[in-house]
Amino acid sequence: MAYSNFTLSEVKKTFQIIEAAEAVNLFSHVEPKVPSSVLTAVLERNMQVALAVNTEKAKSELIIANVLIELREQFDRRISVFSGIDFNIDAEAGLTGTCDFLVSLSPARFALEAPVIILVEAKKDDLTVGLGQCAAEMIAAQRFNKENGNDIPCIYGATTSGTEWLFLKLESQNLHIDTEFYPIHACDKILGILASMIEQTA
Amino acid sequence: MPYSNFTLEEVLATFQLEIVESIGIFSDIEPVAPSAVLVAELEKKVPVAAAINTEKARSELIVANVLFELLEQFDRRISFFSGIDFNVDVESGLTGVCDFLVSLSPVQSFLEAPVIILVEAKKEDPAPGLGQCVAEMIAAQRFNAQKNNNIACIYGAATTGTEWKFLRLKENRLSIDITVYQITQCGKILGILSSMVNQTA
Repeated sequence: MAYSNFTLSEVKKTFQIIEAAEAVNLFSHVEPKVPSSVLTAVLERNMQVALAVNTEKAKSELIIANVLIELREQFDRRISVFSGIDFNIDAEAGLTGTCDFLVSLSPARFALEAPVIILVEAKKDDLTVGLGQCAAEMIAAQRFNKENGNDIPCIYGATTSGTEWLFLKLESQNLHIDTEFYPIHACDKILGILASMIEQTA
Repeated sequence: MPYSNFTLEEVLATFQLEIVESIGIFSDIEPVAPSAVLVAELEKKVPVAAAINTEKARSELIVANVLFELLEQFDRRISFFSGIDFNVDVESGLTGVCDFLVSLSPVQSFLEAPVIILVEAKKEDPAPGLGQCVAEMIAAQRFNAQKNNNIACIYGAATTGTEWKFLRLKENRLSIDITVYQITQCGKILGILSSMVNQTA
């Protein structure tokens, strides 16, 4: 069992997670953040090709990685972004595997340091397919942070095709899944939400 | 047997290739200046890619950027593919996913002949990617021939993003440039890739 094997209902059952019932637009209050002119240019340039090639790999390379590097720049490189690293936390509980993207509040670039704050799962088309996997990684991050004496109240997540983003929030056992899907055209809103996660105000 | 199972030795024996190894096969090619956007992107991304040191990060933060620049330099008259299935001949083991692939056709929604450059990304050392890359180059040769789009040379690169090794396949003659080109010489790498597209390399 690894992160990729978890469906949302399995995550809920295995880790006694409570999915918030009320349908709320979790991040509607978050202020947008203007993307740099470079990111705007790069996305405009890349979008058509990413959509045409339509593989998870192309979308990760041409869209998602650029958005996350922009986030790192906006925080003056005081946070770190990881891509494709092993994140093995608890083999017995199935909390092992590779994470597509992971953001830590530590600036350390060479090895992952706590606290891990955002877990991003890339999917080719259907964002809901990535929800269980992303939630399992968020639970692993919660444990990892705790083990490293770095307890933060909320862990955040996103499942994304690059062109659409769906956000999650885990607070102790309570999992909130946003009701809104943000399109990459609303890049300023997506950056604003990611930034508010870093600031732990989301 | 997919592309990823081929070592260089196996691919040479299986497809009866004649190998020529020399230093600086592509070193006389004129550099092509990278755009300001690429320079700015690489300045941000290369240190992160080198630190994370996964094939995925190196592909996302370096290789894809360099190949996209190539697409721009040719005003999108060529196409760029990433992570697509390229199943050409199951019996010969010429099947699997290619990391990156460049075609001379501008069509971006599906792969059209002629395929001209195959790029294999590796985490630490480009050399282990050579066998896989050559197998993909042979597949491209067959794919182009099947589509009646016979071009004289197919090119390849095995890369960690920071280090690039280049190959050329002409009929059954495989040339491997022993030189390792560094991403710090980005203009040189772009020059070589451009000359491959122009079929002058």
